[in-house]
Amino acid sequence: MASAYARSVAEAIWASDVTRVGYIPSVTVAPVINELVEIDGGDDGVSTRVTPLSREEEAVGVMSSVALNGGLGAIVMQDNGFGNALTALTTWTLSYHLPLLIFANTRGSLGEYNSMIHSISTPVPRLLEATGIHYLELDRRSDAEDWGDVVKEAANHAQMTFRPVVVLGSFWNTDGKVA
Amino acid sequence: MKRFEALRILAELTDEHPVVVTCAATSRELASVKDTDNHLYLLDSMGLVGSVATGLALDLPEGTPKVIGIEGDGSLLMNPNVLPTGGYIKPDTLLIVLDNEVYGSTAGLPTYSSEVNLEKLAAAAGWEAGRAEDAETLTSQYKRLLEVTDKPAFLHVPIEAGNAADIPKLLIDPVSITHRFTRWLKTAGERANLP
Repeated sequence: MASAYARSVAEAIWASDVTRVGYIPSVTVAPVINELVEIDGGDDGVSTRVTPLSREEEAVGVMSSVALNGGLGAIVMQDNGFGNALTALTTWTLSYHLPLLIFANTRGSLGEYNSMIHSISTPVPRLLEATGIHYLELDRRSDAEDWGDVVKEAANHAQMTFRPVVVLGSFWNTDGKVA
Repeated sequence: MKRFEALRILAELTDEHPVVVTCAATSRELASVKDTDNHLYLLDSMGLVGSVATGLALDLPEGTPKVIGIEGDGSLLMNPNVLPTGGYIKPDTLLIVLDNEVYGSTAGLPTYSSEVNLEKLAAAAGWEAGRAEDAETLTSQYKRLLEVTDKPAFLHVPIEAGNAADIPKLLIDPVSITHRFTRWLKTAGERANLP
């Protein structure tokens, strides 16, 4: 059965003004990607408005630029990719005032088995804070409906502020999996 | 051919196109040749010209001329992901790479392009590739590649190393570039179709 949390995030992305989604896969966030593709009428990880991208900075370059035509791009990724994304996020998206929604699953805390990934994922909120990128955190303490509400409002917030907005979701002790 | 000469030709050829331009000396030199609202200067995002051009091309307003990227070899090699991404997504773009085999704005240190054939790299990733070594072939190859619509196009332009002298820095607030470019883009399709 599909994860209610993943379904809620995907429905919220499409219920917002998001016009394009690019993703960098992870096993944790794959249910969100699959739901996005299914809702959009595609299959095998691809649909009209959803595409895989090769790396996080590439995704930032492509999806932020959707805003130049008046659309809103979104990226679905894992938080260990923020190290790859930060230069593009700051010198392009942030500096040129382009709205962008990012939903990233987290790998730096409870439920994570991989000792190495903590090294980049645990400090991600502080990295985002230090670079002036607004972020919101979700975890087991709120239900799937709340996750959807936050994602939808985060997309709205990105447009209102003309900035990237990041939603960090910890799937530990939800109906999703950490890794 | 020097970069400045190539940019002088390209500034005229791309007059009605959205143009995404790589940072530092290339942006400065293009702006000194012609600073118009269709130029989207990436002031400090090395490697992103192809990515930005791809995102821009995804939902371009109807009738808007093809998106042009003006990139350098050092910048492309900093994010060569642009090539397989283009081969996969197939945006309607033309990426022009001015290749001087050095990081022109970074002390002239070498890039890989003296050993790596960028044109073949692009072709292997699914791009329609061409090469121009002088003013005449720059114009003819540009016009040929402009007609390609089923895949992204790539124009490899070997140029001499070195930057033009006495070109002022491009000290513009990036937000003002966004504003003027998006305002231009809204009516680019209509303008292109005028008799």
